[in-house]
Amino acid sequence: MKLLRRTLVVSVALALGSLAGTANAQVTLNVISGGSQNMVDYVTDYLGPLFEKQNPGVKVSVVGTGPDDAGSQKMMEKLQAQKSAGMATWDTDVIVPNQQKTGEMVRDGLLLKYRDSIPTGKYAVSQSAKMALGVDVDGYVMPMFESQTALAYNPDLIKNPPASYDELRSFVAKNPKAFGYNGIKGGMSGVAFVVGWMYAYGGNAQAVQQGPYDAKMSAGWQKAFADLKSFNQQVVFTPGNAGTLDMLNRGEIAMGPVWVDMFQTWKAEGRLPPNMKLKILSPGMPGQPYYYAIPAKARNVELAKKFIALATSPQVQAEGIVKRFNWYPGIDANVVKPALDTKTWNQLFVDVTPADLAKNAKPFPLAPYFKDLREQYESQVQN
Amino acid sequence: MHRPFAGWTGLALLLPALLMVGLLFVYPLGFSLAYAFRNEQTGGWDLTNFAKAFDLYGRDIALTAGVTVLSTALVGVLAIAIAGYITLGENPRAVKALRWIYRWPLFIPFVVAAQLMRTFLAKNGMLNNTLMSLDLVEPLQAISLLDWRGVVITFVWKQLPFAALLISGAMAAMDRSLMESARGLGAGRLRILIEIVLPQVQATVWVSLILSFVTMLSALSVPMMIIAGTPTLLTVDMAWRVNSYGDYGVANALGFVSFAMSGLAAWFYLRQGMREGGLPK
Repeated sequence: MKLLRRTLVVSVALALGSLAGTANAQVTLNVISGGSQNMVDYVTDYLGPLFEKQNPGVKVSVVGTGPDDAGSQKMMEKLQAQKSAGMATWDTDVIVPNQQKTGEMVRDGLLLKYRDSIPTGKYAVSQSAKMALGVDVDGYVMPMFESQTALAYNPDLIKNPPASYDELRSFVAKNPKAFGYNGIKGGMSGVAFVVGWMYAYGGNAQAVQQGPYDAKMSAGWQKAFADLKSFNQQVVFTPGNAGTLDMLNRGEIAMGPVWVDMFQTWKAEGRLPPNMKLKILSPGMPGQPYYYAIPAKARNVELAKKFIALATSPQVQAEGIVKRFNWYPGIDANVVKPALDTKTWNQLFVDVTPADLAKNAKPFPLAPYFKDLREQYESQVQN
Repeated sequence: MHRPFAGWTGLALLLPALLMVGLLFVYPLGFSLAYAFRNEQTGGWDLTNFAKAFDLYGRDIALTAGVTVLSTALVGVLAIAIAGYITLGENPRAVKALRWIYRWPLFIPFVVAAQLMRTFLAKNGMLNNTLMSLDLVEPLQAISLLDWRGVVITFVWKQLPFAALLISGAMAAMDRSLMESARGLGAGRLRILIEIVLPQVQATVWVSLILSFVTMLSALSVPMMIIAGTPTLLTVDMAWRVNSYGDYGVANALGFVSFAMSGLAAWFYLRQGMREGGLPK
C-alpha cells in the first residue's frame, strides 16, 4: 500500500512537472552550429541563456556538427534531405555554417533571405557578408565573427620572426624542423598556410580570390607546389590544428600557423606559454567568417530572426565574440568598439594590428579554385 | 516431432531482423559498392573513381594493408603470450595480477586511446620524457612516434585485450590432462604452449585475429588523430573526400578497396568455420 501511494505521488509530481515544463518552454529554437566545440559552447553557455532570459517561454537547443567543411556538410545534407522529402517545415531554425558550404546552400535554395528585415542587418559591412568564396550571399547571412590564421612563434627562440613567406623559407632552410604545420587533411590552419603559399607563389592570387573561375588558371601552379614539396622536407608535420598548438606548447616546434582565436583562448587558459606571439605573413594569410543563416523553411522564422539580431548586436558582439571568445567581430568593428573597454580592445589587436589585418588578411580562394588547389596539393606535394 | 515455428510463423518472426539488416546494412553496402563505378561527369559507369583513388592514395592503400597486417600479427603474438601465461603460469600472484590488468584497454574507446597516445608518444611526450630521465635516450635523439608506428602501437594496445580474452577463454576450456602429462614428461612451458596448447585453440586464435583485423581496418579516429601529415590510412582519405570535396565517388572506390581487404579476412573466417565442420561461430 505504501509503495502504491509512493508511486502515485511520484507520477503526480511527474505529471505536474511536465505540465509546468510545457507552460514554461512552449517553443524550442533549434540551432545547429558548425565549427569547433568552442562555438557550441558559445551558444550553450552564453548566447542561449541570454536569449532565453529575454524571451520567456523559449528554449534554445543547440547541436554541434564539427569543424571545417565536414561539419557544415552535415547540416547541408540534413536540409537537403528535408527539402527532397518535400516537408512543409524543416526542423532547424538557425544554422551556423562555414563559408564554403554557405555558398553551396544559397545556390541550392536552402536558405532564407532575411538580413534586411532585422535591425542589425545594416552592420553587416564586410566583404564576406556579401560574397562567400565567389557565391553571392548578400542578404542571406550575418557574419557571426571573423577568424584569422597567423603564424604563432616563441619569441625566446626566434628573436626576429619572418614577416613574409620568402623570409620563412630562408628561415626554414637555416633552421630545419623548427617550423611545423598540419598539412591539408588535419584542419584548416594547415590548409590556410598552403593557401597563403599559393597566394605568394601561384602567380594569380587576385583571380583566385575574386574570380572568375577559369580552369586554365590552376594549371600554372606546378612550380609553386614543387617548391612547397621541397619546403615540406624541412618542416615537422603536426596532428591537427590543436596538434600544432600542442607541439608549440611542448617546445617541439618553435613556430607554426594557427587560428588566432584558438591561440588566444589557449593562452588565456594557460595551455600555451604566455610569451607566445603572432604574426601574419605577407603577402597574406586567409581567414574566414562563420555565418548565421536561416533555413528556407524554418519553423520559427520570426524567433530565428530575433535570435540572430541579438547575436549580432554590438553589445553581444563585444561581450561574447570579442571578450569571451577572442574572435574578431563579425559586424562593423566601429560599432563594436564603443561597447568595449580599451584594455580588451587592445588585447585583441596586440600582436596583429588592424593595419596588419587590413593589409594581410585574405579570404580563402573561390570554391572551384580551392578544390583544384587541394587536389593538386594531394597529387603533386603528397605523392 | 516438435516443430516450434514452422513456415510462415518463423518467417514473420524473422522479418523485422531481416528488414533491419536489409535496409540498414545490405542496401547501403550495395549502393556504395555500385556507386564506386559511377562516373558523375558522364553519368556512365566506368573505373574513373578507381583510377583517381589509386593515383592519389595508392601509397595510403599499401600503408593501410601494411599497418593492419602488422598490428594483427603483433596482437596475435602478444595475445598468445598473455593467454599462455595465464593458462600455464606458475606464480599465482603474477597470474592473478596479469588477469586483472590485461583487460583494461578493452573499456577505453578508440578515440580516447588515440588522444592518450597523442600526448604519450609525442617527441616531448611522456614516453620520451621518461626515457630521458632514465638516461636511456639523449634529448636530441628523441623522436616523435606520431606516424604509422603510433597507429600500430595504439591498435595493438587497444585490440590486444580482446584477442587475449578470447584466446585465454579457449585455453581455459581445454582438457588440462594433456598439459599435465607433457609437463610430467619434462616438456618446458614454451614447448607445451606451442606444441600442445596452440594447435588446440588455433580456431579461436584465427577468429580473434580476423575480427581484430576488421576492427582496425575501420578505425577512423586513431589515424586521424595520430598520423601527422601523409601517408595516412584509407578511412581518413574517405572522410577527406566526402568532407572536403563532397566527392562520394572516390570515397566509394576507396571503400570498395577496404571492403576487398576485409572480404579477404571474411573468406578466411568462413573457411575456418567450414573446416571445423559447421557454421562459423
